Amino acid sequence: MSKIKPAVLAVVALVAITLPLYATPYMLQIATTTACFAMLGLAFGLGMRVGLPRLDIAAWWGVGGYATAVLMEHGVSFWLTIPAGGLISVIISFLVFSLALPRGMVAFFVFSMVIAMAFSQVFGSLSFLGGWGGITGVPSPTIFSFAFDTQNRIYYLGLLFVVVTIAVYLAFYHSRIGRAWDAITSSPRLAGSVGVDVVRYRMVNILVGSFFIAAAGSFYVIHYHAAIPSVFSFTAGVNTIAYLFIGGFTHSLAGPILGAFIVTFIPEYLQFAQTLRPIIIAAVVIFILMFLPAGLLGVWDNKIKPRLAARPPERRE
Amino acid sequence: MALLEIENLSMNFGKLQALSGLDLTVSEGEILGLIGPNGAGKTTFFNLVTGTYRGSGGRIVFKGEDITHLATHKIAQRGIARSFQQTFLFAHATVLANVMMGCHIASAVGPVKELLHTKAAREMDTRARKTALEIIDFMGLTDLKDEPAGTLPHGHQRSLGVAIALACRPTLLLLDEPVTGMNPTESAEMVARIHQIREKGMTIVLVEHAMDVVMGVSDRIVVISLGSKIAEGRPEEIKTDPQVIEAYLGRRGTLDVA
Repeated sequence: MSKIKPAVLAVVALVAITLPLYATPYMLQIATTTACFAMLGLAFGLGMRVGLPRLDIAAWWGVGGYATAVLMEHGVSFWLTIPAGGLISVIISFLVFSLALPRGMVAFFVFSMVIAMAFSQVFGSLSFLGGWGGITGVPSPTIFSFAFDTQNRIYYLGLLFVVVTIAVYLAFYHSRIGRAWDAITSSPRLAGSVGVDVVRYRMVNILVGSFFIAAAGSFYVIHYHAAIPSVFSFTAGVNTIAYLFIGGFTHSLAGPILGAFIVTFIPEYLQFAQTLRPIIIAAVVIFILMFLPAGLLGVWDNKIKPRLAARPPERRE
Repeated sequence: MALLEIENLSMNFGKLQALSGLDLTVSEGEILGLIGPNGAGKTTFFNLVTGTYRGSGGRIVFKGEDITHLATHKIAQRGIARSFQQTFLFAHATVLANVMMGCHIASAVGPVKELLHTKAAREMDTRARKTALEIIDFMGLTDLKDEPAGTLPHGHQRSLGVAIALACRPTLLLLDEPVTGMNPTESAEMVARIHQIREKGMTIVLVEHAMDVVMGVSDRIVVISLGSKIAEGRPEEIKTDPQVIEAYLGRRGTLDVA
C-alpha cells in the first residue's frame, strides 16, 4: 500500500492537470461541473465523519451561488463573494443546528431536510433573486487583468477549489479535532465520557462543511454564468449520498470524488437516457449497496489490496 | 474529606423508581464498593454521576461544586472518569488510539495550532502518546497496542476500558463491573491494579457482582437495593449484616454466588 497509494495519486493528479490538452470542450465542461459536485460530496463525507448524514447541502449550495450572483451583479469582486456566501451559510447553519443538534438524530434529519427544501422554494419565490428564471449573465471572475473567461481557466480554478477543500479537510482529519470526530462516530457515549463535547465538535464539522458547500455554489455560478433555482434543488444535495456510497463510504475524501465523477460523467454519455438519469443513478446505488456494500473503493480495500500485500517480496513486516 | 457527596438522589424511568432518595459520600482516596442485587440502581447511579441521565431529584456535589446539571463532557473535564459495563470502545481504532483518545482533555493546545500542526501541537501529540503508552503498559496491554480494539478478547477489552478512563487522569474513577467475564488470573491482576491506581492518588467507586473481588478490594461497602441504601460499612460487617443477606437471599440465593 505504501508504494501504491502515492502512485495512484500521482496518476490521478497528472490526468487532472493534463486533461485540457486532450479533452473536448464538452468533456472539460462536465469535468468542471464534477469539481462542484465533488465538493458537495466531500462535505457529505465530512458530515459522516461525525455520524451526521446531511440533507441540508442544497441550501448552502444555493446560498453560496446566489450570494455570488447577486453581489457580482452589484459589482462586488468574485473573490469577496466566496467568504460572503460562506459566512451567511455558516451563520444560518449555526442557528438551525443549535436547535437541532442537542435534540438527537431525528431532529437533525428533519431540520436538515426542511431547511434544504425551504431554501429551494425561497430562491424561486424572491423577485430580487430573479424568481424561477434565476439570475443570468454572471460575469467571469478576474484577478487584476487576468480573467477566468475560458473553459480551461475555469477548469483549473475548479481544480484549485477542490484541492483547497481537500487540504483543509485533511488538516482537520489529522488533528486532535479529527480524532475527536472519529471518536464521536465510533461511540458518542464513550467520546462524551472522555470529555469530548459531542454537540460542539459536531457543530464545528457542520459549519466547516457549510462554508465549503457555499464555496462550491459560488464556483458553480461563475462556471455556468447563472444561478437558477432548479439547480439548487433538494435532489442535488441528496445526490451526494450516492457519491459517497458509490465511491466508498470509508474513504471520506476519495470516495465522494470518485462517486461524483461517475454519477456526473456516465449519464452525460448516455444521451438517449437524459430523462432516465435519476433512475439510472438510483439503480447504480441499489446495485452497489447490494453487491459492493463498501463501494468501489471497498473493492480495492477488500479484494485487491490484500492480494498485493500477500505477495511474498512486498510483504510488510 | 468528602470528594463526592450524593444527597437524596432519585431517578425514575416512567413508573419505575430506579433510585429513591440515595444518600452517599465518597471520601478522598478510598475504594468504595457498591453492591446490590440486579436492578438495584448501581449503573443508574454511575449514569447520574457522569451526567448521562438527568436525575428526577437530589444533588450531586463533587469537590464542593454542584455538578447535578452539568453535561457529560464537563463532568469528565472536572475529573470524573468511568468504565462501562457494556464494553464501549472505539472498535476500529487501535488500542493505542483508544487510550490516546482518553487523553483528549489534557492534550488541548487550541484549534488553530491543532489544525496547523504547529510544534506545540506535535509536542502535545508526542506527550499524549507517551502517557498512553505508559497506561497501556500499566494495564498489561503493550503487546496488543497496535491491534484494533474490536478484535481483542473480552478480558483485554475490559482492561482497555479502564485504560481509556485512566487516560483522562481523573480524580474519581468509576468502575462498572471491571472483572466481569475475566478468568481468575486476569481478575487477580485487575484487583492488584485497582490497588495501584488508588496509590497513585485516585479515588475509586467500584460496582461488581464478583463478591470475593468486592470484599477483597474495597475499604468500605455500600449496599443498595431497590434504589435505596440498605447498609454501609467495612466488608466484614457487610458480610454478616442480616439486611444484606436478606436482600440477596430474597433474590439470588447466597452472598457467595451473587
